[in-house]
Amino acid sequence: MDINEFIDKFAEIFDDTDRNEFQANTKFKELDEWSSIMALNVIAMVDDEYDVLLKGDDIRGTETISQLFDIVKSRK
Amino acid sequence: MEITNYGITLRRLTRDKIELVRSWRNDPKIQRFMEYRDYITPEMQEKWFDRINNDNNYYFIIVFRGKEIGLTNIKDIDYENGTGEAGLFIYDDGYLNSDISFRSALCMGELFYYDLKLKTSLAHVCRDNKRAIQYNKFLGYQIADNQGNKYNQLYFQTKEAFEKSAAKIKHLIR
Repeated sequence: MDINEFIDKFAEIFDDTDRNEFQANTKFKELDEWSSIMALNVIAMVDDEYDVLLKGDDIRGTETISQLFDIVKSRK
Repeated sequence: MEITNYGITLRRLTRDKIELVRSWRNDPKIQRFMEYRDYITPEMQEKWFDRINNDNNYYFIIVFRGKEIGLTNIKDIDYENGTGEAGLFIYDDGYLNSDISFRSALCMGELFYYDLKLKTSLAHVCRDNKRAIQYNKFLGYQIADNQGNKYNQLYFQTKEAFEKSAAKIKHLIR
C-alpha cells in the first residue's frame, strides 16, 4: 500500500478543497469541508478501494491522514 | 422511553434534563444554526417543555457510551396528515461531524415511519448551513417548492427515500 495513492483517493472525496491541502500530516477534521458525510465517504472509499472496514472510532481516534492510512494498512 | 440501536441510545427528554438542554441551546455554537437565536431563560425552557411533553413531540437526548452528547427530535406531529418535523444537534465537539448523527437518524427514522406510522418527515434548514443541507440531502430530504427566497427552508423526506438512504448508511456503519 502506498500512502500517496491513499492521499489521492482521500482527496478525491472532497469537492471544494484544493488537492495541495492534502498531505500525510493533514489534520483532516480541521478542513472546512469536513462533515459527517465526509466521515461516511471516507469509510466508503476505504471499503471500496482497500476492502477494509473502518469504524467510527477509527475516524474519531485519528487526526491525520497518515494515522488513518496506518490503520487501513494494518488491517490489510 | 428509551431506544437503543445502531450503537447509540436515545433517551426521551425528561424535566430533569431540560436545564442541560438549555445550556446547550444557549451556547453560540448551537444557537447560530437555530431560527430562534435569543437567550432562553429557565422560565422559557419550562414553558417549552410543558408544550412539547406529549405524543405530538418526541425529544431525545442522544447518549453514546454513557455520555450525553446531543439532542434529536420529531416535533409538531400531525397524525392525520402523517407529518412531523425532524431535528438534531450534536453538542459534544468530540462527536461532531461523525457517524453518530447518522446512527441517530436511523433510530429516529424507524420510530417515525415504523412505530408512529407517519408518512412524510419535514425539516427546516437555514440556507447558509451547508453541512446541514448536505446531511439532510444524504438522508433523502428534498427541498420543498417555493423555498428560494426563504432563509429557513423547508425540506421533506418520504419513507421510500429514508429506506434507500438507511440501507446505504447501515452498510457503512456495520
